[in-house]
Amino acid sequence: MSAIASSGMTRSIRKNQGIIVVLVLLAVLLVFGAFVSERFRTANNLLNILEQSTGLALVSLGQTLTILTGGIDLSVGSMISLLSTLTSGMINGDGSMVAPVVVGVLALGLVFGLINGILIIWLKVHPLIVTLGTGAVMQGLVLLYSLGPAGKVPKGFTYLAYGKLLGIPVGAIFVVVVFALVGWFLTYFRLGRYIYAVGDDDTGARLMGLPRAKVLLTVYAFSGFCCAMTAIYLVARFGVGQPYTGLNYTLASITPVVVGGTLLTGGKGGVLGTLLGVYLISLLNNVLNFMDVSTHYQLIAQGLIVIAAVSIYVEKRKRV
Amino acid sequence: MADLSQAKGMELTGPGPSLASRLGPYALPIFLVLMIVVAGIISPAFLSSNNISNMLLQVAPLGIVVIGQAFVIILRGLDLSVSSVMATAAVIATSFSGQNADVLPILAVAVGMGAATGLVNGLLVTKRSVSPFLATLATMIVLQGFRFAYTQGAPSGNVPPLFRALGSASWNGIPYNLMLLAVLAAVFWVLLSRSRFGREVYITGGNPTTARLLGINADRVTIIGYIISGGLAAVAGLVLSGYVGIVDNWVGRGFELDSIVAAVMGGISLAGGRGGIIGGLFGAAVLIVVFNAVLLFGLPVQFQIIIKGIVIVAAAAFYVRRTN
Repeated sequence: MSAIASSGMTRSIRKNQGIIVVLVLLAVLLVFGAFVSERFRTANNLLNILEQSTGLALVSLGQTLTILTGGIDLSVGSMISLLSTLTSGMINGDGSMVAPVVVGVLALGLVFGLINGILIIWLKVHPLIVTLGTGAVMQGLVLLYSLGPAGKVPKGFTYLAYGKLLGIPVGAIFVVVVFALVGWFLTYFRLGRYIYAVGDDDTGARLMGLPRAKVLLTVYAFSGFCCAMTAIYLVARFGVGQPYTGLNYTLASITPVVVGGTLLTGGKGGVLGTLLGVYLISLLNNVLNFMDVSTHYQLIAQGLIVIAAVSIYVEKRKRV
Repeated sequence: MADLSQAKGMELTGPGPSLASRLGPYALPIFLVLMIVVAGIISPAFLSSNNISNMLLQVAPLGIVVIGQAFVIILRGLDLSVSSVMATAAVIATSFSGQNADVLPILAVAVGMGAATGLVNGLLVTKRSVSPFLATLATMIVLQGFRFAYTQGAPSGNVPPLFRALGSASWNGIPYNLMLLAVLAAVFWVLLSRSRFGREVYITGGNPTTARLLGINADRVTIIGYIISGGLAAVAGLVLSGYVGIVDNWVGRGFELDSIVAAVMGGISLAGGRGGIIGGLFGAAVLIVVFNAVLLFGLPVQFQIIIKGIVIVAAAAFYVRRTN
């Protein structure tokens, strides 16, 4: 397993110089942060960064696959809001409800994602529009369900967010494992290669008889599943779900993907870049925090990073 | 986009026009009239002069944004930064003395800011080949950051009375902002549908390669399109600041999606090269009527969002069928 993972990693590094750029930026930020503040240098702070990046990492993982096919999933924010509100609302402090609700919410994420995929295939409308629409519907639904924070979760539930295994946050370990599995799937499974093929040349993939519908259903269903995982993590972290929890995740989930070198036009990139992109964004926000830079300027910095990233990886001309 | 299976299907069934393609240009006006009639029957309050003038007041800000969005979408792009430009223009409107004497400086600074944002969008899209979605998203976020940093999260100050009047007063039942929309629509309709530049916009959006072969400076046309969108969004932000009276950091929130929904409903294809300003304005009118009807029927306001979501997907699907 480790041999497979590492050979997959070197391969994706060779194919994606973006990863080197991100690694260099990560190193620069680490050194810079160490100069800025003594507290930044502590292991505790670094573990904190890992722990806080879990939610963003999971939703960006699903987003990576949709973008690899040349699509996009703009419903993730609303879906996270809906699923997290349902999670705490239905558990409502009852320990015996935890298992069924978690399973149910994961299944619901899959179903919502499948609906996105089916609409995209059936209506032949660009994923941008379809997921914009389904996202709006889901935002409306969650506000019908609750206008504010709903329910609560038992104390033990927070373990998912704050628990530690050998001193490392469980969420961070889970993220690395899931990313490795998906990276393995993308590299060594036929369906994983088809994801790249569809994103690289949709018409060509169709003419070659590749199972385009199956690919699209898989990536959008998986994106929905990732939203469900993010939603559950966020409920564990905040102790409750509310109808605007996911609001910022729609756009935030795209940033690490693009920064990590996956092209919005599809067909190029991978999950390793996204994971490093997530760490880069989390590290940047952390360093800016230590520099006492207000969140307003953090916003500017993030926007500028996106512009810089997409300007480095020049894309093919594309219709969106 | 046509694939083999569709081509085969066409041969079998013959090229008879579908209902959608025959209805095409009239679908939206018919839909609008039907909706007004149905809404009036269900709830007579819908047709009260009070409610109608209320809806007319709301059409202008959205309509002005849609005009700019039309240029960008016909050029195969889209502009997500419009809402951020609107809010920033509104903040600019309150940053002067609040007197009528400052109307011209406000207008100059706000429109300049909008045009500059459009210029950055256009340069990123053309010179760096950044996808329009991402380019305008990034400028939206950067502009939002500057706005928050400038206002420290809480804008204060007053909108000059002239903007208040422009945003909320009317003359013989016709809102001033609707007159402004009519003037802007006429000017930009001439530019888009009756000028050389307009033809270049359609050719560039329809097929950039053709545009280059014809000697059209596609980059320049595209950049101007984004500048128009940014500048008009700034005007819409000023009008909206006059309508709401107070200014917060989120004036115009949601307009980026509403304007795209209106444009797509109005038959402006996201694939570029197709559609026009009048269709887009009908789209805006339909959207305002739908929002109004939801409230008037006593449905929870959340249904506005749900219906908006369904409408954009349905409209896009309708036009995909039509062009196929």
